[in-house]
Parts: sequence; structure tokens; C-alpha cells
Amino acid sequence: MSTAHKRLSLLDLAEHMVAYGIKKGADEIEVTVQEGSEFSVDVRLGEIENLIEAGSRYISFRLNKDNKVASATSSDMELETLERLLEHALTRATLANPDPFVGLPKLGSSTFELETLQLYDPSVSEISSESKIALAHQTEALALAVKEISNSHGASFETREIRSVLANSNGFLHSYPETFCLLGVGLQAGDTNNLVEGYWSSGKRFFQDLESPEEIAHNAVQRTLRQLNPRKIPTQNIPVVFEPEMTSWLLGFLFSCISGVSIYNHASFLVDRMGTQIGNKLIHVVDDGLLPRKLGSAPFDSEGVPCRQTEVITDGILKNYLCNTYAAKKLDLKSTGNAAGSGVGPSNFFLKAGDSSPQAMIKSLDKGMILTRVLGHGLNPITGDISRGAFGLWVEKGEIVYPVSEMTISGNLGTVLNTMDMVGDDLIFRSSISGPSIRIAELTLAGT
Amino acid sequence: MSKTPQSLAFQDHFDLSPAVLRKILNVALSRGADFSEIFLEYKTFHFIKMEEDIIKETSESIGLGVGIRVISGGKTGYGYSNDPSFEKLKKTALTAAAIVSETQTHQGRELGFSGTYQPGLYPVLKPAHQEPLQDKIQLVKQAYFAAQDFDPRINKVRVGLTDQVQYTLVANSEGLLRADTKPLVKLVCFAIAESGKEREAGYSGGGGRVGLEYFDDTLSPDTIGRDAAQEAIHLLAAVQPPAGEMPVVLAPGHSGVLIHEAVGHLLEADFTRKKTSVFWDKMGTKVGNEQVYIYDDPTLPHYRGSYNMDDEGTVPQKTALIHSGKIVGLLQDRLSARLMSSQLTGHGRRQDFSCIPIPRMSNTYIDRGEYAPEEILKSVKRGFYALHYQGGQVEDSGKFTFSVRAGYLIEDGRLTSPVKQATLIGSNLDILQKICMVGSDLEFGLQTGTCGKEGQHAPVSDGCPTLKISKMTVGGQN
Repeated sequence: MSTAHKRLSLLDLAEHMVAYGIKKGADEIEVTVQEGSEFSVDVRLGEIENLIEAGSRYISFRLNKDNKVASATSSDMELETLERLLEHALTRATLANPDPFVGLPKLGSSTFELETLQLYDPSVSEISSESKIALAHQTEALALAVKEISNSHGASFETREIRSVLANSNGFLHSYPETFCLLGVGLQAGDTNNLVEGYWSSGKRFFQDLESPEEIAHNAVQRTLRQLNPRKIPTQNIPVVFEPEMTSWLLGFLFSCISGVSIYNHASFLVDRMGTQIGNKLIHVVDDGLLPRKLGSAPFDSEGVPCRQTEVITDGILKNYLCNTYAAKKLDLKSTGNAAGSGVGPSNFFLKAGDSSPQAMIKSLDKGMILTRVLGHGLNPITGDISRGAFGLWVEKGEIVYPVSEMTISGNLGTVLNTMDMVGDDLIFRSSISGPSIRIAELTLAGT
Repeated sequence: MSKTPQSLAFQDHFDLSPAVLRKILNVALSRGADFSEIFLEYKTFHFIKMEEDIIKETSESIGLGVGIRVISGGKTGYGYSNDPSFEKLKKTALTAAAIVSETQTHQGRELGFSGTYQPGLYPVLKPAHQEPLQDKIQLVKQAYFAAQDFDPRINKVRVGLTDQVQYTLVANSEGLLRADTKPLVKLVCFAIAESGKEREAGYSGGGGRVGLEYFDDTLSPDTIGRDAAQEAIHLLAAVQPPAGEMPVVLAPGHSGVLIHEAVGHLLEADFTRKKTSVFWDKMGTKVGNEQVYIYDDPTLPHYRGSYNMDDEGTVPQKTALIHSGKIVGLLQDRLSARLMSSQLTGHGRRQDFSCIPIPRMSNTYIDRGEYAPEEILKSVKRGFYALHYQGGQVEDSGKFTFSVRAGYLIEDGRLTSPVKQATLIGSNLDILQKICMVGSDLEFGLQTGTCGKEGQHAPVSDGCPTLKISKMTVGGQN
């Protein structure tokens, strides 16, 4: 009966599944087990809206037999179910085609510096529910105290703890714990027919690193109010300054174009460009999985390959594609420790800070725009084309004069990298993909 | 069939009798809440991936879990677990109950469960999760080679087939007990065409709440493969879109994404209840041209967004949102309907057991009008024709965008140069007034769409006849 639930420890479960896979005939197998717990509270207009508290487990594995691959995931942790899934996978593998590029990474014996990485904050589990709720209340109340703020999407505080185990049939067996906290608030201002919206949040691994409720409320309020009474502008080509949050999505798009998976699939405009100049010499992009406390750091990737620092663009020259083991073999490269699930993901992927202050960049605009927000999905890695809805602040003679909305920005990432002519000194790691302010010499803004 | 879907959900995956469900619901109410609910989910999922001429990988997934919700006034307490043992569920129920700050213990209620199994909207002949893997691989290969053989310039093809079946059961403290079994199938093809230095991608797909017979009698894998390849080839010759304000004609079918973004989201009841939607004070008000009639219908047989019950156990209804340009309805979930004293419409959906249900769309469409599509095209001297999309986004203020993958220039009433990658942006109050011609050719778009809201993903579909918008900002390059 299911009450006689066999609940192995995470490590034992991972080891058992590896052993069972080999016993049943797999040539190689890799197993990931995760256990997570979550707390989240949403507060809106001074009342609690939602309170969620839960824990769950999850397993995934991938095996190969005769160079044929099959994988599975489950949140049903009954051993009987998992063993059946594994047997199914072996049967399915026989129906796939052999692929000479599959296989586990060759790993030396590794030790991981978890102490130095600082991914786990023990104090997170000690924060009382009352304090967590109070933080959300306080953040929203500070924002609502500003009389121009007319409505709230609510403030949220959440914490998560995850423990991950990775085991494979080459004897790899390691685990590590992580914590995350997030505090944020979303606001509206203006009358119903002329609403503007803004949001700000702070997400960190360590509770004490979070921005204060005052800072978060202040940022959310400023980002909302500065959009009030926007104008439409005529269609034109002009210089555009990206705020750091805008540089982040541009870098996210760059990441999808230099991912080894996109490259071997020819789904990127940067195929065959390694070692060539793809942008202005000011551009230095790095992927670094070993920065202490940062959101994108980890001891090893989802295949057990140690995380590391990889130069992606140096002096505008494309130095490396980011690869998992499979993409690396396809491209005759080495894994960069960027395996994430069945694909490739960023560690801390960032544009290095330059020497221009954001103020100097704005001052440099005789006529131009500061891009503050985008809407929509128009990014095409195959061509590099960019086309998104845009909101911003219009600048004349180095001064912000009014907000603008209902525009689109269009350009091409290849061109943007070449026309990025100023890089800001304001790099802050707010997510796993981060960058400072940048100036692009020319983009098309479509308006009236 | 010896087993009904209810018994499958109950007995195969959860050791939970109605008596046990009653006990847990009462534990959840024990601190004095108004309402408690248990959501049980068991889901199986299969995936086949083909690229570079080989079946590269297959995968199977199982999702199992229970979500327990407690409502007290406007507050929701929620807990979930993938351990379905009674002890763990009791603990989860107590966690959810903690939303109520009273400490007094309340008496249990006598719950008499009722709830009829609905006649199915999605009977299938060949349930994908039971069909042999070889047959499914055959479908994948058909689409793959149809794309590859379409044109020598097709250089890379990727095909994915996913099928899932989701058993859900909802029991609540008002005595409701209802279950559903939802199949969902999706076959998609990406094709990349290369010619010299030019490289472009095309996409197509199909599916819905169907069995594999769909690929014989409704949409063949060959067609899916060819359509993806054709779009990639079409884009090789495409020019950059024009920039600025101009008349826009939307192709029938997937242009429904406009209605989904510009209207649907902002008539989800939570945004009206919270007064964050630009529509909150406009119920009964005329906001669009009188040719505009918009519906959300979760009861269209086999459509991707359809369901026999929503994720709160409510039997859904076709819901009118806009009639003759006037706002007439909202999409309700249980919480919003309670707080607004409105009728349920059956639009409370959740991504899975770990999520609180929220009001969502299902199959949203603008109804047919009276203009022939040719007549609409002829009325445009110079403009933009939007053909295929990669999605859209809206904020509560009504500002929305949608991204066009492929389109055409319109010159003197005819489609001329193909156009790539454009963004259309507008404000819904403005654009609804500017829908000046509604075509007679209502179609639904690809049955592959997924909508995201507050981090939760739900399968949806959109429909639309040919539409003319008198003036809209098209984002292109100068």
C-alpha cells in the first residue's frame, strides 16, 4: 500500500537508480534528484492575498545504450514507479537512432569549494513567517504612502531552499544546497485610461544581501511615476541608451546566439564566427559560474562538469561558444560547464563594466532616448533581428524632457554589437544575466 | 473500457477514498475558513525529438501531486506536496489552514459529495499515450522529411512530438467532487533555410485534445513539415518591415493573438476585481467598433484550450466578452466570482498542483463579420499584412504588442513583398475602435499555443477572421 512509502535519502535514491540502470543494461546513466521547499506571501493593499508553503521532490535521469538515448523525469517518488520508468527508458532507447556524439563527460576526481561559493544561507530557514509577511507589508506600505501611486499589483516575499544531487555511472556523486530570497512590489499610477506601471524587486541567495524595503519601494515608485503623461514620437533613427535591466535582455538574446546547441543546429547568426570580430572593442562578455553568492553560480553543471570562468567576447572578438558535453563534441570543442537540463544555460553571464557613468551617457545625447522597458518577444537568433515594443525617456541636449510610449525599437544584434559605443560603469549582478548601461549609436524607433 | 477516468485517478495513483477526502477538507477548515479544496493531479508526458536525420532522444515524465487550498474572505492559503500519503496531506491541509489567524478549532462539516461526469469534449480513438512508440516515431519522421524534401535550401530541420494525459480530481467543502481526463498532443516542426549568407527559420505545428487519428483525418504531419519549410523559404526573400503608423490587415487564424492580448487578458476577472485593468470601470460600455463580437469558449470539441471542467471543478460555459463593441462579460474563477458576487464561468485554471488557480482564457476568438477577405485587402492602398506570429504581451494599462514572424507589404490592394520580423504595438482602447472591417472567414490558429500569466502556463488557442485596423504602429527599420 502506498502508505508503506519507501523514502530513501536523496543520495541513496540517486545511487540506487544509477545501479539499477546499469544492472538493467544501460551503458551509462546520469541521475539528478532535487528536493525543494518554498515559502511565498503576496500582500496587496495591506491585506495578505496568498500564502504558500510547500515542499516537493523531483527526479530526472538520462541513459544511453549502444549510443542511443532516453530520458525521464518524475515527481512521483515511489521506487516502484521510478524503476518502471527506467525500464521503459531502456526499451525506448532501442527505438532511437545511434548517435556517436552521446556520452557522459570524462570527469577527473573533483573536489568542490562549496565554502567559497557561498550558495546557501542558513539564516533563510530561521526567518519566521511573521517577519516574511511583515517585509512584504512594509515594502508595499512605503510605496503606497506616495500619493501619486494609485494602485498596487501587490508586494511579494519568497524564499526557496533546494538541495540537488547528481550521480552518474562513472562514479560521480555530489550534492549541494542553495537558498534564494526575493522581495518585490508592482505599482500603478495615473487615471484608468492613462495607467502606467512599474515594478522593482531584489533577488539574492543571502537574506542579508537583499535590498531594503525602502530601496525597493523607492525604485518601484520612481520607475512608475517617471512614465506618467507619455508622448508618442515620430519614427526616426537615433542613439539609444539602455538601462542595465535592458542590457540584460540584450545579453540574454546574445546568450541564445552563442549557445553551442544553437550553433550546431545552425539556429544562430553567429555560426562560424568564433575567433572573429563581432563587435566593438569595448565589449567584453564573460560567463563565470564561480562568483561567490551570485545567482548563476554553482560548483558543477547538470552533467557534473566543474563550473568555471569562460571568456565569451574579448575586445569585441568572439572567443568561445558555451557548451554542454554533447554540443562540445558536435563542434569539436570542450564543454564549458554550461549544461542545464537537456540543453545549455548561462552561469553568471555578463558584460564587463566600462568607464562611462550613466549620467555621462545621457549627457552625450543631443537627441536620443533612454530605453527603460520593453514588451513582446521579437528576437530572432537565426538572423539576429530585434523588434520589440518599447517605453523610454526622451532626451534633448543631454536632459530628460518627457517619457515616451507606444513605440517599437528595431535593429539587429550583429549591428548593435558593432555600434555599441559606450559601456557604463554601473554593472550590478541582479540576475544570472547582467550588464551595465550601454549606448547604441543608432536604432530605429517606430512611432507615429 | 473497464475503468472510468475517475477511478483511474482515484485508485491507481492516490489511495484516497471520498471519506479520506472529507477528512482532509475538514482539517483544512479546522481554523475557521470559508472554503477548502483538494486538487489531485496525475500526468504522464512523452516526447520524441528528431534532428539531424535521427531520432535523437525520447523521454517520459510523470507528474503527481496534491494541492490544498483554503479561502477566508479574500485570503488564500495554499500548500502542495507530491507525497500523497494521508499523514502528509493532513499536514499540508494544516499549513494551508494557517491563513486563518483564529486559534479556535472548528467542527467538521458533513459533506455529501456530488458532481456529474461531463460528456467528454475530447473522445479519442487512438489515445497517444497508449499507442506504440514506433507509430509515433513514424509521424515525426513524416513531418521531418516533408520539411527536408520541400526545397534544397532547407538545411536543418527539427521535429518534436509531445503527448500527455492529465487526470485531475477536485473535491471541495461545498460538496463538489468531479474529475476529468485531458489528452493533449502537439507535433511541431522548425525548418531552417540557407541561401548564401541568408538564413531564416520557419515554424508550423498542430494538435489539440486529440488522439493520433488527428494526423490521419485533420492535419497530416506532411502538411506540418511542408508549412514550416515553406515559411523559411518565404522569409529568405523577405524585406525588413516598414516603420511607422499605417493600415494593418491581420490574416485569419493565428491573428487571434491580438484579441487574446488586447482584450482577453484584461477581461480576466482578477484584474477587474483589483481595478488594475483599464477595463475595470467599463462593464456595459462601448469600447470598440460595433462589428466586434468576442467570445471565450472552453467547450469547443478537441481544441487545445478546451476542458470538461476547469481546475476548480466548474463545468465551463462559452462566455461572451464583447458584443457589438460593448463589454458584456468577464472570465471568472471561484475567488473572483465570490468576491464580486458573480456567476462562475468555468475559467479557473492552474498550471499544475503546485499553483493556485487564477482566471484564464481557453479558446478566444473574434466572431465572423460580413466583409469578404478580398474586399478588405482591396480597401488598403499601402499597408502591412500580418501573417504568422511568435506571440504577444499586454500590460494592465492596455498597452500591448504582438510579434509578427512573417507578413507582406500591401500595395494598391494586393500583397507584394514578403516581410520579416515586425512588432505591432498599440493601446487596446484605441485599437478596438480602429478595427474597421471584420471578415467573414473565421479560422483558428495553430493548435500549439501556450499562454503565460503570473508564471503559470496554460494551453490555449485563438481565432480570428481577416481584420482591418485603420491605423497602427508597425515597428520596422528605417
